[in-house]
Amino acid sequence: MNINKSNPLLLHPLNKWMKKKKWSWFPHQIETFHHVRTGSDVVVFAPTGAGKTLTGFINPIDDLIKLKKFKGLHTLYISPLKSLANDIVRNLEKPIKELDLNISFQVRTGDTTPYKKQKQKQKPPNILITTPESLALLNSYENAKEFFHNLKYIIIDEIHTFLDNKRADLLSLNIERLQTFSPNLQRIGLSATLKNKQDAKKWLCRKKPKIVSYENSVLPKIKILESKERIPWSGHMATYSINEIYKEIMKSKLTIIFVNTRAQAEYMFKNLWLINKKKLKIAVHHGSLEKNLRLKVENNLSKGLVDCVVATSSLELGLDYGDVEKIIQVGAPKGINRLLQRVGRSNHNLNTPSKAILVPTNRFEFIEAKAAIEEIKKNNLDKIDLKEGSFDVVAQHIFATACAGQFDINDLYKEIIKAYPYKKLKLNDFKQLINLIQDGGYVLKNYDQFKRIFQLRENKNIYKLVNKRETRKYRMNVGTIIENPMLKIKLGTKTLGNIEEVFIQNLSQGDSFIFAGQVLEFQSMKNNLVQVKRSKSLISKIPSYSGGRMPLSTNLANSVRALLAKSNMWDSYPEQITEWLKRQKNISKIPKKDEYLVEQFPRKKNFYTVIYTFAGWHANQTLGFLLLRGFKEFNYKPLGFVANDYAIVLWSLKEVKEIKTILNLGLLDKHLDNYLEETSIVKRLFRDNAIISCLIERRLPGMEKTGKQVLFSSDLIYTVLKKNEPDHILLKSSYEDAKKNMIDYDRLREILKKIDKKIILKKLTSISPLAVPIILEINRENLSKKETDEYILEDLENEILKEANVLSIN
Amino acid sequence: MYYQLINFGNEEFHAYPNKSLYWKRLNTLIVSDLHIGKSISYAKNKQFLPPYDTKEILNKIFVSLDKIKPSNLIIVGDLLHDVFSTLSIKDQDYKNLSQYMKNTDFIWIKGNHDKNIQIEGFKNFTNYKIEKFLFTHIPIETPLFQICGHYHPKVKIVHRGKTIFKTSFVHNEKIFILPSFGILTGGLDVRSKQISDVLGKNNLSIYPVGQDKVYKL
Repeated sequence: MNINKSNPLLLHPLNKWMKKKKWSWFPHQIETFHHVRTGSDVVVFAPTGAGKTLTGFINPIDDLIKLKKFKGLHTLYISPLKSLANDIVRNLEKPIKELDLNISFQVRTGDTTPYKKQKQKQKPPNILITTPESLALLNSYENAKEFFHNLKYIIIDEIHTFLDNKRADLLSLNIERLQTFSPNLQRIGLSATLKNKQDAKKWLCRKKPKIVSYENSVLPKIKILESKERIPWSGHMATYSINEIYKEIMKSKLTIIFVNTRAQAEYMFKNLWLINKKKLKIAVHHGSLEKNLRLKVENNLSKGLVDCVVATSSLELGLDYGDVEKIIQVGAPKGINRLLQRVGRSNHNLNTPSKAILVPTNRFEFIEAKAAIEEIKKNNLDKIDLKEGSFDVVAQHIFATACAGQFDINDLYKEIIKAYPYKKLKLNDFKQLINLIQDGGYVLKNYDQFKRIFQLRENKNIYKLVNKRETRKYRMNVGTIIENPMLKIKLGTKTLGNIEEVFIQNLSQGDSFIFAGQVLEFQSMKNNLVQVKRSKSLISKIPSYSGGRMPLSTNLANSVRALLAKSNMWDSYPEQITEWLKRQKNISKIPKKDEYLVEQFPRKKNFYTVIYTFAGWHANQTLGFLLLRGFKEFNYKPLGFVANDYAIVLWSLKEVKEIKTILNLGLLDKHLDNYLEETSIVKRLFRDNAIISCLIERRLPGMEKTGKQVLFSSDLIYTVLKKNEPDHILLKSSYEDAKKNMIDYDRLREILKKIDKKIILKKLTSISPLAVPIILEINRENLSKKETDEYILEDLENEILKEANVLSIN
Repeated sequence: MYYQLINFGNEEFHAYPNKSLYWKRLNTLIVSDLHIGKSISYAKNKQFLPPYDTKEILNKIFVSLDKIKPSNLIIVGDLLHDVFSTLSIKDQDYKNLSQYMKNTDFIWIKGNHDKNIQIEGFKNFTNYKIEKFLFTHIPIETPLFQICGHYHPKVKIVHRGKTIFKTSFVHNEKIFILPSFGILTGGLDVRSKQISDVLGKNNLSIYPVGQDKVYKL
């Protein structure tokens, strides 16, 4: 694209406004404008601060002005977050109002009032800014075709968040629906920089697909915190360096401290306040906090009324949050893309580098942080693996289709397989999903008279809703996000936020815990409300949240392995790290970047095996279980294991002599199904799949069932179904879900394929330096992975019997 | 099948992991809250649960009847979930039941769910007295020992940092509450208000049901 040619955007209606602001058009904006104008679907890759949002609207605004007083919906803009949608509206307002352009635009999300929604349906604006869930809802109304038939553009913002999850699956199905309603529809995707741009293009684009890419040559300045303190051997808290972190906050005007989990956020916040001599204004922000609390922090952030915010990924996406001078990332970055996203929150000027400091919380994280810095220098990003779409999402989509009116089953199938995640969807699976929506899809046809949809007698290809009242049920159930049962926390009359029910169940009256930056005492729980009061206690529990664990990305893992092997770099590291690595080299070995080190040593009357896979926590956790079974088979009498992102340690009563025979692909093929069954992974996912596919209703506020009760019954349903119809499509859906999202199946498979040729076995007399971190984790973990309910019951019984002096101990 | 020995009202009972209770001296098997046809009940509200509960519940009963060959089978209420439930009982099921009824006396005590349902040839009662024991769905004021159902008791166990919920048999000195024999039934905590109003909070004997065993707390 020759940028020296005359810039067509100089004739753009917004040009006057750009000139007033003394801004010039970016090359990628000119390129996008050109491609879209010639009929292409485009994905634009650009970093924050490169006018991405405006890029999406360039063609729509140009069109609308040319068309003069266009009536009806012309452009749809999809944002992943409600708050972002609101920000976009505010940003669009500025040029459109200032230039007095004749373009109407509105936002539509879950927060929009029913009155406004009604008006929008009757008289749609030219531009509608909305979320994927609201789009799904719009497609389920009877007037959907009429509403969308003139739609010209759909803009998907932050498309990189929409590539490999169920939300993305649902969105892609709805985009194909829009294309059916309006064949002239063009697609524009806006994305952060990605490694596999081609995949994003394949996901979104149909007509003359094009990629437009802007690479920022100004790389961020990232360094590791220089600390005089000793970096801990293991753990995830940065307590050792809290004083130095505080010094960094003092130095800059506005800092965001990113941590990886909500528990870490609360902990960091508490500890900072304990040493807050200068009375800096420090706030905390994470997803479980009540909305007003979060909004308050966000407002203060943009107005510069706060000195520092401790946040989780809750602050990762979003428009300008004011003049953030510095980012501190506490804990390992886990992935390059995520790190870049966070670092990008500081300094939205493309010409000055963003500044960030990494604070490793243990020794391995130091290497990880160093590796991350190296990868960013080389502009090496993570790959996002696109996966096949989930079945349960298709079921929900079928239901939505039925709500909009009768439909032809063949036409629907043809439309669905146009969506990239579903291009391989088998007709037979699709038919089973139709049956699922119809009456549960069971072989035993007990529910004929209670069907949800029925086939027309005149034409067996046409299906119709039996009762229009069902549409209400659909609308209450739309979406792919399943919350864990949460309870509201109330301090007096003020709501602070939500906490997972599981955590509260383990509390007794009087227990204290940290939340929203305060130490609270649990008083009572009634009707899903937890009443607390302020606690003066010094000892408190921190709520842990499930789903807080981000695995180490493949890209970063490989980089860590390569860096570990680079012995010429060691002297540049802090003394304790250098010493650690040198000792490891002397006593055992530092594996080369494509080698898999296996260490074995005796300890406490048992035999330990440590395997350094660097496969990420999910894959390692899976491998640990598989190895337990493998060890059992070979009669090594395994007792347990612990896994982290880098390694697995297993301990057994007998010495493991044939590790090379066990550690291979056969292990996966043989034991995977048992693993998924035994650990209830599939059973837990079944609940989500059953809710998303509308088999069981979502728990909604005000309904009598507590979260626990719904979980209970979905467990029962799973058990009955598994016993009587093991091939049911919903079980298949849950199984695939587990493989895709819980256990990193593909990654594990890749490793096991070639591992047996690359194993380096070291037999030692005691723990190696490299193994210390994972051995320390053994104490942290309860052995609950092995503990099924039966084990707990037996153990409890034994304890009680022992106390009663009845049980003889053999 | 392993059973747990329970002493109640000075009589020997055996609690089985399939949630049935056996009165040894009188060779009587007791079950409660089967909720046959719950799946059909949900289906009419368009929640399509797997329709195998009736089949499974009946199989469970038949297995027990085959093994124990009791003289009596007492159902302490909520045999059926609601009026639609009989739709899920097939002809063959009725035939099988009739066979078993030849050798065992079936005593059906009505609960709140099956209050108004009748099955041809199947006698039913509001409550039933045998010696010092009263069989009734919901406990009432009486000097007799009571064996009841209705509450689907379960117990919350917090052990080793984990919390689990287990269906349980529970009794105090005078009242015994059976767990639900059903397949898709939820439950109430033994410490909940509804149950503690009936049994009190102290002197409870609780027997959580495991996979193949009934435990004693």
